[in-house]
Amino acid sequence: MDSINLLILVCAGLAVAAVFTSVLAFRFGAPLLLLFLGLGLAAGVDGLGGIDFSDTHTAFLIGSAALALILFDSGYHTSLKSYRQAAAPAITLATLGVLVTTALVALPGRYLLHLSWSEALLLGTLLSSTDAAALFFLLRTGGITIRDRVRSTLEVESGSNDPMAIFLTLTLVTLLTGQQASGPWQILGRFILAGGGGVGMGLLGGWLIIAVVNRLRLDPGLTPVAVMGLAAAVFGLTNLLGGSGFLAAYLAGLLAGNAKLQGGGGLRRFQDGITWLAQIAMFVTLGLLATPSQFPALLGAAALLAAVLTFVARPLAVFLCLTPFGFGKRERVFVAWVGLRGAVSILLGLVPLLQGVPQAGRFFDIAFLVVVASLLVQGWTVRPLARWLGLIVPDKTGPVDRMEVDLPGLADREMVAYVLHPDSAVAQGRPLPRWARPILVRRAGRLSSTPGPLQAGDRVFLLAAPHQVPLLDGLFGRVRDQAETEAGLYGDFAMTPDITVAALRDAYGLGLPALPDALTLAELFRREFRQDLELGDRLHLGPVDLIVRDMTDGRITSVGIALDPSPPVGWERLKLRLEARFPRLFGAAS
Amino acid sequence: MEIIDLISPESVVPNLRATSKKQALQELARRAADLVGLPERTVFDVLLDRERLGTTGVGNGIAIPHGKLPDLNRLHGLFARLEKPINFDSIDEQPVDLIFLLLAPESAGADHLKALARVSRLLRDKAVCEKLRGTDSAEGLYALLTDNPATRAA
Repeated sequence: MDSINLLILVCAGLAVAAVFTSVLAFRFGAPLLLLFLGLGLAAGVDGLGGIDFSDTHTAFLIGSAALALILFDSGYHTSLKSYRQAAAPAITLATLGVLVTTALVALPGRYLLHLSWSEALLLGTLLSSTDAAALFFLLRTGGITIRDRVRSTLEVESGSNDPMAIFLTLTLVTLLTGQQASGPWQILGRFILAGGGGVGMGLLGGWLIIAVVNRLRLDPGLTPVAVMGLAAAVFGLTNLLGGSGFLAAYLAGLLAGNAKLQGGGGLRRFQDGITWLAQIAMFVTLGLLATPSQFPALLGAAALLAAVLTFVARPLAVFLCLTPFGFGKRERVFVAWVGLRGAVSILLGLVPLLQGVPQAGRFFDIAFLVVVASLLVQGWTVRPLARWLGLIVPDKTGPVDRMEVDLPGLADREMVAYVLHPDSAVAQGRPLPRWARPILVRRAGRLSSTPGPLQAGDRVFLLAAPHQVPLLDGLFGRVRDQAETEAGLYGDFAMTPDITVAALRDAYGLGLPALPDALTLAELFRREFRQDLELGDRLHLGPVDLIVRDMTDGRITSVGIALDPSPPVGWERLKLRLEARFPRLFGAAS
Repeated sequence: MEIIDLISPESVVPNLRATSKKQALQELARRAADLVGLPERTVFDVLLDRERLGTTGVGNGIAIPHGKLPDLNRLHGLFARLEKPINFDSIDEQPVDLIFLLLAPESAGADHLKALARVSRLLRDKAVCEKLRGTDSAEGLYALLTDNPATRAA
């Protein structure tokens, strides 16, 4: 009995400790997942805790289940719109990109570490997939808004390359252990089965989840349990049938997340909690499993592979895969750098151990070390890099004090409550749209349904469709002082999109050769970006940049012109900032 | 390119009176025409032409009307602080009370762009604008506009 109680105490203690470390992480911007991993190490066999955990099977079980839930959740939070926008480049990265990365990482493995070809390739596949959990955490929780296309591409890629890496790993492991018939045709057949089965079961699972939630009148407390249970079941069943369970879980999440679900708000909160728990469980378990005393011998090899991966393999794969899709240089640099490796690589490192590949322990250890390096180096630099490359879109609104309440029986409406910020558009006299009339206002502790004009500090309750909530945020939240960032991102002056190239040329004496005179600015953008056009897109025209300032229903309604486009990016901006802070240092020079 | 290269104490108007965008541009064109020695109508037309491409009201109460003139010898700036804010079709739909007018020779090319960027960056600084709004003498305004450019670079 006591051993069971002790086990519960230890597990719960680790979970609670992990939650506490998150306070640290948010304060220092440290990669939180690394802290979870570190906690596992600290509690483990060579750490303070001294827990001797070496049960590979249990670790793999916990890791797989956690990863399935994380992938389901990442699908759930990906909007179909951004999925469609990013699908082609992201899937190219997830397939071709994974192969290229694998091959390029295998080369030094073969020639510098003197592994056999299959071993070197196995090592390459372990490290080839970017990690959804780590990436989502960084991009979403990091408090920054990265430009849509770049963010979606990274997210969809990380969601869909895990299945590819897992498939390759399993294939190579069977090759190494010589278990199954593994001619090229069998491998191709299994690949098609894995992909097709994953897609089919994922769509089926997503449909099933939507049907169960919306048709059956479940107790609100049971709904999230049903959803999570079904997601895990889809994962398990797909794997049993030979399909890719991870792919299925991701697609089921994508479908369910984009449908109007009963009690969507409660579901989201429950899922956030479960996903946190899954991340903590996965990282702490993997940290616990590792044996750091074996690391020093492999440090050199791991450092070499991490360097090759970060500076050669990933950038080459990204440049190769993204160039046909018209990604700019800065965007490619960012995507190349943010190829974060995470738990998936470590988890895959367990597969050779489980299948009895000789000397499999070092694969696990190397994967572990490379992941730590990746989380440390890339995880810590994502934010500054994005800012450096000018890929961050300023939030339209500042922090918003908002609460959402589900309305039983209504999937397309929810009750939203805002505390009206003194600097919000509404508090400054902006009228409310017709569909956003408050139904109840709490002012000075009293409720009223006919409060008269709204005042700052009022708690305003209103009904809204979920897709209208961002608009409401803009009305009730603080309007940011963003003149400075705006000008950097959207230019100095606004221009009408239907003026012609000739008019622009005349106004500023620009050269602009090779552009037809009669082309309007809107047509120019269309010509360059086709369907992908989004807010903040830039065209370099000689000394100036044209920028999409505003859009309505996919049409450009305002074009910005940046007259001196170099300063807000990279070095120049850093210099300006330094000048502002230390005028005396620069005053004499300028 | 610094502000001091663009304006002189004579080209600062501390209390311009106007009730509409058109009237403000007309008044500015008249004063600018005096400064550069060109017909008022020519200057006004150039400014109007530029407004047709999109408003030069850049938000936060600032407008930077500008244009190119063939017979100009160098870049000329004119700064005006309005007595009462006026509607200028600004991008943020807020009334305008600080106007920096910039005229460039036909051949100025890159210098024109640099000067505009410099003016735009200066007037993006909220603190500077607050000080300009609180100053009603031409000398004071001129001093503020041309003061210590390095600290204003960011």
